[in-house]
Amino acid sequence: MMRILRDVLLFFERDLRIASSYRGPIVLELIEALFGAAMFYYVARFVDSPQLREALPQGTSYFAYSLVGFAFFDYLNAAVDCFERSLEEARDTGTLEPLLVTQVSLPVVLIGSSIYPFAQTTLRVGVYLGWGSVLFGFPLRSANWLAVVVVLIATLLSFSGLGIFSAAYLLLFKRGNPAKWFFLGVSSVVGGMLFPVSILPSWLQVVAHLNPVTYALDAMRAALLEGASLAAIARPLVVLFVFTLTLLPSSMLVFSWALQRTKITGTLSHR
Amino acid sequence: MLQPFAAPSSTALRGVSLQVSPGEAVALLGTNGAGKTTLLRILATLLIPTRGTAIVAGFDCARDPKAVRRNLGYHAGSDLGFYARLTGAENLRFFGRLNYLSDSFLRTRIPSLAERFELGGALDRQVRTLSSGTIQRLSLVRALLHQPKVLLLDEPTRSLDALAAADFRRFLKAEVLQRQGTSLLFASHTLPEIETLADRVAILKEGNLITVDTPAALKSKAGTDSLEEAFSRLTGHSARSLEEFAC
Repeated sequence: MMRILRDVLLFFERDLRIASSYRGPIVLELIEALFGAAMFYYVARFVDSPQLREALPQGTSYFAYSLVGFAFFDYLNAAVDCFERSLEEARDTGTLEPLLVTQVSLPVVLIGSSIYPFAQTTLRVGVYLGWGSVLFGFPLRSANWLAVVVVLIATLLSFSGLGIFSAAYLLLFKRGNPAKWFFLGVSSVVGGMLFPVSILPSWLQVVAHLNPVTYALDAMRAALLEGASLAAIARPLVVLFVFTLTLLPSSMLVFSWALQRTKITGTLSHR
Repeated sequence: MLQPFAAPSSTALRGVSLQVSPGEAVALLGTNGAGKTTLLRILATLLIPTRGTAIVAGFDCARDPKAVRRNLGYHAGSDLGFYARLTGAENLRFFGRLNYLSDSFLRTRIPSLAERFELGGALDRQVRTLSSGTIQRLSLVRALLHQPKVLLLDEPTRSLDALAAADFRRFLKAEVLQRQGTSLLFASHTLPEIETLADRVAILKEGNLITVDTPAALKSKAGTDSLEEAFSRLTGHSARSLEEFAC
């Protein structure tokens, strides 16, 4: 276990060094986050009304509601995307094979390569919320940070399974990320990112309640905007836990099979 | 060993039976597509044979790939495979640590190999600024970092200039083969390199192992004093394909 942790940190250090060799993007991201937060603020001011506040589950401002939805989807995107992207990058830069002849297994390579994107997303989201709080009155003080962290970890674990499925897909079919296209596409409509699922037609509400994103996002908003306790968000946490138990092992199995398959067919490093 | 690619009917290697002893250098010789790289990749655990066994340093490549990799140095012959935004030293440290080499060992090992391969300045420069010959030397250093028992090299001197290539061959012979007793299996299209370095030559043709013998014995078998001619006679390749092969 300690060895895996050490390996994972090696990849994080590698990515940190690579990222720090580019100086511009960090500043640009800070600026982008400022404009992003401002955009949500002004859209919210334009559409906000007492009726809208009443319709929102947490009874908060539309600005806070939409900013949390957006930030959460940034994480979701990182979870679904980062494994496939790191695999694709390693393949395209020719580092995949040198990595595979070291002592470290490919799953550890992928997990290690996912830490930096998650850290980067956390930083970006933090900056978004920070700008939102400092300039536009986002209610950061009411958050239950322990619950926020627990929901975040549960979300990342459960949706990482989809990311690993995507990496397996890439190994076999060389291009494309169906989990991202389909799951994030569907979830952006029925997951409650920018509007509550209660405004959807009833049949789409059924889909929304089958989608774990809806539960995860509800729990995140409750923890961040209402300061909900862990007990209060136990139900969505259980849903995420069940989802993790189903998705993570099955995705690992499929990934191992795909890796074995590409090593037999000789297509491991093919683009 | 069989290595079928996309179509099940396509077989990359068949009936290859070969052993390389400690301290011995065996060259793989064959035209493009003969199966040299496939064989090296199977031994490097990057491919899994559908039939037969491949054993490296006493470990089965399919059953115990991790143990195989522990004893293996592999150079793919490409000038890719490094992180362009990291320096030569950062790259080598990263890959060395992934092979569980300690920082203190790497602190002495990297500069000593870098000096041997005249890489001094390249260690502190980002890989994206290095020439392909320098990247290739960096890749050879990476393959040697953990003092492997078995060394697999695919066209090891392809991008090196004549002097660097000759120096590398001397280093391999004196240091790696004779002093460390490493087993070396390498693929090369450079016949003088094969004659200089290889104790034995394995000739592959269309995935089949035609013969394995010393360069002298191959020449005598073919009734000629040129390895190129011996290769031509033993494989039945025309003079034209030999010219292409030599390039």
